Amino acid sequence: MSISPMIKLNIRAIIARCYIFIACIFLTACVSVAPWERGNLAKTQMEIDPYPLQSEMQSHNYSSREAAPSHKSSSGGGGCGCY
Amino acid sequence: MQRNSKPRRQRGCQPIPLPEITSSVKPRNTLQALTSAAMVLPGLLLSPGHAAGQDRVNFQYSRYQEGERNLFGAPNNLKPISADVLHGSGVFSFTDRFKFTFGYTQDTWSGATPVTTTPLATDGGNRPYTVNGVVVGASPLANSQVLLDHDLNPIGRDPITKQLVGGIDTRSVLVMSSASPETRRQANFGLSYEWNEAAMNVGGGFSRERDYQSSFGNIGGRLDFNQKLTSVKFGGGYTSSEIGAILDHDSSPYITKQAYAQQIVRRDGSEILRGDRKDWVANVGLTQVLTKNALIDANVGYTHSSGFLENPYKATSIIFIDPAQLNNSLISGDVRAFIEQRPNIRNQIALNAKYIQYISPFNAAMHLGYRLSVDDWGVNTHTFDASWVQPIGGGWTLTPRIRYYSQDSASFYRPYLFSQQAFSKQEIDSLGRKVWVDQNNLTKQYFGETQFDLVDQNGNAVDFSVNAAPKMTSYDSGKLPDHFSSDHRLAGFGALSGGVILSKTLGKGVALEAGFEYYTRASSMQIGGGGSNSFADFDYYVANAAIKFDIEPATLPPMGTSGGSSESHSHATSHQHHKIPPAGIMFGHMLDKAGDFMAGYRFMYNWTGGNMMHGTQTVNDQTIVDQGCSDIGLCRFVPTFMNMRMHMVDLMYAPTHWLNVMLMPTFMDMDMNLRRLDGAPPPRPGVHEHTGAAGHETGAVGDTYFSSMIKLLDIPGHRVHANLGFSAPTGKVDIELRRIAKIDGGLIHFGMQLGSGTWDFTPSLTYAGEYNRWSWGTQFSGIKRLEEQNKSGYRLGDQFQATTWGGYDLKHWLTATIRGAYTWQDAIHRDFNKFNARIGPMDFPSNYGGQFFDMGFGVNVRILGGRFAGNQLGLEWLQPIRSDFNGYQLDRQGMLSATWSYEF
Repeated sequence: MSISPMIKLNIRAIIARCYIFIACIFLTACVSVAPWERGNLAKTQMEIDPYPLQSEMQSHNYSSREAAPSHKSSSGGGGCGCY
Repeated sequence: MQRNSKPRRQRGCQPIPLPEITSSVKPRNTLQALTSAAMVLPGLLLSPGHAAGQDRVNFQYSRYQEGERNLFGAPNNLKPISADVLHGSGVFSFTDRFKFTFGYTQDTWSGATPVTTTPLATDGGNRPYTVNGVVVGASPLANSQVLLDHDLNPIGRDPITKQLVGGIDTRSVLVMSSASPETRRQANFGLSYEWNEAAMNVGGGFSRERDYQSSFGNIGGRLDFNQKLTSVKFGGGYTSSEIGAILDHDSSPYITKQAYAQQIVRRDGSEILRGDRKDWVANVGLTQVLTKNALIDANVGYTHSSGFLENPYKATSIIFIDPAQLNNSLISGDVRAFIEQRPNIRNQIALNAKYIQYISPFNAAMHLGYRLSVDDWGVNTHTFDASWVQPIGGGWTLTPRIRYYSQDSASFYRPYLFSQQAFSKQEIDSLGRKVWVDQNNLTKQYFGETQFDLVDQNGNAVDFSVNAAPKMTSYDSGKLPDHFSSDHRLAGFGALSGGVILSKTLGKGVALEAGFEYYTRASSMQIGGGGSNSFADFDYYVANAAIKFDIEPATLPPMGTSGGSSESHSHATSHQHHKIPPAGIMFGHMLDKAGDFMAGYRFMYNWTGGNMMHGTQTVNDQTIVDQGCSDIGLCRFVPTFMNMRMHMVDLMYAPTHWLNVMLMPTFMDMDMNLRRLDGAPPPRPGVHEHTGAAGHETGAVGDTYFSSMIKLLDIPGHRVHANLGFSAPTGKVDIELRRIAKIDGGLIHFGMQLGSGTWDFTPSLTYAGEYNRWSWGTQFSGIKRLEEQNKSGYRLGDQFQATTWGGYDLKHWLTATIRGAYTWQDAIHRDFNKFNARIGPMDFPSNYGGQFFDMGFGVNVRILGGRFAGNQLGLEWLQPIRSDFNGYQLDRQGMLSATWSYEF
């Protein structure tokens, strides 16, 4: 399948963003948050996914109604969602 | 491991001790507590794929309900799509570093779904039908005619009468078809291992539907750097799916599926479209702590899919136009439905970024997310979402959430297509003559304009009496696009959704969670807006409730000094546990100490199959045909099997030592298949006919039980308690089969409805005794229906059961049990007050109930020490010994009960 110019453009945009992230890594390598300063970060509300049960269900609903790749695709899962 | 150095306090403490640490921990512990808390961080913050931390069991129920689609005035009596989803999952630690996860999800959906899109102005589409002269609904009519003007704009028609009303009407409309309930089941398993600054996980599972089966596996890992301020995550997965779509009996003859001729097989009178699909996924991500109050999480994922990527139930309407008509002022279009054709390969790239900021004044966290995905089908998407996680004291947390999504249309998406050729026309020979075929001898061809002036290939005139028919050629598929789909999920649109999540942490490691979300899709909300497919706009809501149990491994030594932890760990062994009855016994034991709490899960599988029975004897088909139903309609079908599964969550609490209260929500699912009886009368016009390979499935919330148990006697070796229980009619009793072949399916069989539909009284009296390794007991139980009838007009029969059992401890942790049971069940009273097709004995109230004798064989396991101390497991098989059925019923094969429980 040929990749349309539109997508090429987007891939370029993605690569650009990747660079930004890599830059972020180097920049943030200088960040220092001492263990005793991490109290807030350890709170439940600061978890990356504070409600895994909710997000699993939401992503199943979204992926049965939208064409974006499944949010949880890396953890696998099947099903047609044929409705 | 570092994570375990966190301060342990009371048993069942909350996973994150921070709020107390900052506020209430004594000063001398503060530094230690903070340091420990920081050590907790990596496991919580950077879990690769699933929740780390404590062992945990979750149950969740959710309901998805869609709103009605806009059919622009066409009658619509179909129920919109709804789905009931049950989910259970858990995390268990083998060691501090080695964990096992599992999950099970079951969803049953039913309702109306779009099969294709046509111009609104066809004479088919959602074709109204009448009952007693009144329009009550519409049938999907995939093939139809449309009148077009010179520029191919449809000329409007009345949506009810289908008469031309003049004027151009360019609107499209979804053609809706209903579906009987269907169930999907998914199970997945995972193992994870943690090092000090790394983690690995592997997992896999499968998903099963009648028409779609997939298996998947994945592997992932995480590396921590920079004192765990930076983590890199990576993962890959593979999913292999097999599609075996049973094409709709009703619509299949009208849907063109030439392109899939090689993939369609016939079985039991059904056409089955087969396909395979493979999906590969890889992703890499980064989590970075930015400040003591902020972090970001970002990742890039790539998905490669190949094979059968279509939805086999979606058709695209192609309007065939005779090129000769193109210069006419009015053109007639021949609307034909084709199974959609998507490319066989899809590559998708997705980029996710999430920023999380702690908002100090509110002790809240703000989550901001953005997601971009692009693919080679042209579907580029943007997702923005924001949520605010606000603890509001007393263990409550409120989280409002908003999300916006926009996608571009797939390059091959069209509501419908035009093709400038005839769908089917008479063949013309090289001399420009129409070709005819002799119906009595298909090798003979004739030529001529009409049937009455034909010549043979030698130019000799043919007699009038010859039976000639036009030789037809169908469309040239080379003139159609390679790929087309009118599945509105591939259209351009935007969607806005919002909702709240409310969670409450109770004491004793129990947490409740409830969520609600409302979602609305509109083509006009697309970024850079196409906005031309508003006919597919819809909305839905999802409501869910979950309960989560933290199970604290009991053998970990109490760590730290932060008070009061040592007594808690002796819990599992210090209790004087009574022996538990076999798994098939409900309400069979009580908690002993005031304040105790028990959470459990009970699974029951009831299997009927084999021969049809009448009383105690097998019965032949002809007898059932003649006598199993009624005088007006003879029996035509009987079940070949029926499986019923019940999932029940047991929650039990002891406010005092002599009184326990219980709450037991249930979730039911059933499936059955039918066969035509030998000697069955032919189908009656206007009566539902069961056809094809597919059986029936139902599933959703069942009845909810609640009760109080009262201790009457408790002396060494002997205990007696009474149970006063009720069941609330939360299970549906008005599930219907879909309308097929222009005939309403009506209510599904009594036995496939999910509840009793009435408030029921469920008392029982239990005696249990034990001496050394021996234990025994007896229980009398009953079900008394408290109402005359349910909303569908009938009520299930009352029930009485007497059972007695004996047990012997093979090991101090393992008990074998044997049990005898007698059950009397009354027939169903009254009858359906709505239409039911009455196709077999299972549709008649008198063919329910009877007297049954069973023997049960079971084992109970009580884990006394080690990491899983306090867990109890039970398994019992109940084998029918003698059955005396009321009327005509399918034989019983047995019942399996499995229980898990944990006392806090």
